Amino acid sequence: MSIPYFPGCTLHVKAKDLDDSTRAALAALGLELTELPEWTCCGAVFPLAQDNYMGMVAAARILANAAKLGDGRLVTVCSFCYHVLKRVNFAFRNRTEARNKLNEYLEEHYNGEVTLLHPLELIRDDVGFDVLQDRVYRRLKGLKVACYYGCTLSRPAEEMGFGEPENPTIMEELVAALGAEPVGFSWKTKCCGSYQVLNNAALAADRAQAVLEAASRQGAHVIITSCPLCRYNLERLPVGAAGKGESEARLPVLYFTQLLGIALQLPATTLGLDSHYLDALKEARA
Amino acid sequence: MVVTCTVKVAGNTPCTNDAEERGRCVVTGAEMTREVKAISGQNPYLCMQCGLCSASCTGVGFMDLLPRKVMRLVQLGDKKLLENRAIWLCSTCLTCTARCPRGLDVSRVMEALRVINLRKGTEVLAPEGIPEELLTEIPQMALTSGFRKLSS
Ligand code: SF4
Ligand code: SF4
Repeated sequence: MSIPYFPGCTLHVKAKDLDDSTRAALAALGLELTELPEWTCCGAVFPLAQDNYMGMVAAARILANAAKLGDGRLVTVCSFCYHVLKRVNFAFRNRTEARNKLNEYLEEHYNGEVTLLHPLELIRDDVGFDVLQDRVYRRLKGLKVACYYGCTLSRPAEEMGFGEPENPTIMEELVAALGAEPVGFSWKTKCCGSYQVLNNAALAADRAQAVLEAASRQGAHVIITSCPLCRYNLERLPVGAAGKGESEARLPVLYFTQLLGIALQLPATTLGLDSHYLDALKEARA
Repeated sequence: MVVTCTVKVAGNTPCTNDAEERGRCVVTGAEMTREVKAISGQNPYLCMQCGLCSASCTGVGFMDLLPRKVMRLVQLGDKKLLENRAIWLCSTCLTCTARCPRGLDVSRVMEALRVINLRKGTEVLAPEGIPEELLTEIPQMALTSGFRKLSS
């Protein structure tokens, strides 16, 4: 069965590798994704002003369009998209005023019927981490992985339903199923500085550096994430922007779907993986 | 930024405080506090000044006022807060919100202070100010989120 999928704008351009690896890895597990026939940007951030309904309309339209497909589910992998769609859906389900106001913008009535799923949840619920464990061809034995959730996946906990606000564990469960070793990582839900990279690059560089160093202290060989902006900040900023040199603590940063794809022995090209990542991982485990 | 006083005082005459004075004007400060309450949906007087939000904040080391002080100045109705840098350095990471022992959504208070500014046309992020190299490399979501939070 094919499941409705919302890639989001970053995945069509700058994070094509997240899109490719998500589709490829899920397909290998028998989960076929079908892109929504029509979609726009989700808005990227959830408006925190009580009276800003306009900031929720784009996400509302995406959810209402997904509802029309009748599957009842919608999958999205980008952490920002997941955050916004989940919170807007929560508002539809739980806040009468928001539901009424937003429905004024929609052609067909929507009540929050769609269940929004992150691929991590989809794999856990539809495949099962125990089953996944048996389907992994190349067990990633000896690889130490820091699971970096960033700030958007798990907070606010009552709306996101993604586990503890500062200690979600679903990514670690996936990593363990791949035969790798998730390291204890207290920085897993700290913020990388996010969009402040545009406004105060030094702040973002400082935060990214701190996250990298924390992962490195735990002996991680690689950091995984589902957020293109986290990845960008972690990979690019510690060099230069904060006036710091190449960090001793430099670690490869991958999407979790790429690591999953490696374990499923999918060709590197379908995962958008440069060979230098594969070399780095090989070296790490040597 | 000059904050224009919109409050009428005794006899329905406009407040005559000069710009410098207005920053500390109790009456207009009270107006700011009212607006923050309405936009954020939070009651700032619940804050007990424990400082957990500040200790958790992503902006530590960069903000001149950390969220605990921001909360205090909202309580006191100090309009200088609207001209503060700290509110623009918040990355809406919601750590303060997750940790506040008084159940305050601190990130909504920070947003309300930005929104009061943005609705008057005061913004901090302009496309011209972003280095071209960054513009071509950065994931789209950074531009969308940055402009949504930091420009009007
Ligand atoms: S954590 Fe809550 S109660 Fe403590 S200072 Fe911050 S806002 Fe006030
Ligand atoms: S949401 Fe803003 S104020 Fe709160 S901890 Fe994060 S950066 Fe600091």
